[in-house]
Amino acid sequence: MLASLNRATKQYGRTEGVRDLTVEFPPGEVVGVLGLNGSGKSTMLKLLAGLLFPTSGDVAVFDGPARAQRSHVVYLGETDALWSWMTPDDAATFMAGLYDDFDVKRFRELLASLAVPRRRTKAMSKGERGRLRLAMALARDAKLYLLDEPLGGIDLLSREKILQSIVQEWHTDETVLLSTHEVAEAEGLFERVIYLREGRIALDATAERLRERGKSVVQTYREVLG
Amino acid sequence: MTIECTWPIDMNAGPIFVQIANQVRQKLARGEIVPGDRLPSARDLAAGLGVNPNTVVHAFAELERTSVIETRRGLGTFVREDAPVAAMRRDMLLAAAAAFAADAAALGVSTSEALAALKEALHAG
Repeated sequence: MLASLNRATKQYGRTEGVRDLTVEFPPGEVVGVLGLNGSGKSTMLKLLAGLLFPTSGDVAVFDGPARAQRSHVVYLGETDALWSWMTPDDAATFMAGLYDDFDVKRFRELLASLAVPRRRTKAMSKGERGRLRLAMALARDAKLYLLDEPLGGIDLLSREKILQSIVQEWHTDETVLLSTHEVAEAEGLFERVIYLREGRIALDATAERLRERGKSVVQTYREVLG
Repeated sequence: MTIECTWPIDMNAGPIFVQIANQVRQKLARGEIVPGDRLPSARDLAAGLGVNPNTVVHAFAELERTSVIETRRGLGTFVREDAPVAAMRRDMLLAAAAAFAADAAALGVSTSEALAALKEALHAG
């Protein structure tokens, strides 16, 4: 297994968290992590990223504790936190200094295909910043990519560009976990979908198998979480 | 011939790999692509359609299994010279006829009425 949670619980306050979550991720899967607000999507991704430590249970990445693997996992968080003075060139220097696996050439190609302008981030639109953040994440060469709401609050064309880049950049031995509320737009990308409800798995299914039974991922979302 | 990578995929219409395979067959039956044509790479088609590359690989495998396409090592994926185009065309015509027959039966019209309507539509088209 590339990554797994074994009876992992993380609770902070009452608002969010995961409860007794057991799930495994083999290499080479694109997984949709779906659920209403507060269902535990971000917590699950942060646990795998090693940014949170479980209250109980285990979280393993590459057969070690998630925390020890932090530098080998790509995590794109929900918050739009880029320094306002930063240009894409600054971002390249910053990322290359931080991560050995950051590929500057690939980053430049991504900037071009995602049409990221060469301005400071404070002069960028939210969609442009979202595309820049995705380029920063995808330009790293890792086996596990955790993308938390990369489509959130971003215009339609940016969302399409982002999804296309994920398809183009994904290698068959890499696992991508993508959380999103834009289920209809992203569902074609998912081989597997995990529906979370109140910190637990409501359904873990193969997307094509759902469609075989005549139900889209969106329809299933309504049925399972509605 | 270049093939546009923007085919309609309906998430409510069954597995995506089946839809992709059927669209290749349909394009062949309609003459939009012909034997010997090269298909886009699985990744390009996947990016164009916004689907997982593995789904396209699955569709191509299905088309290969049914002797519609072949992979030429290092060159890409091509429509086979002996692809059963006539049979595919006939299958699609029969399916369209069956759909029409079902609609006509639901309306409760006689065979001659249905045939007359069909002739009229064919003339109009």
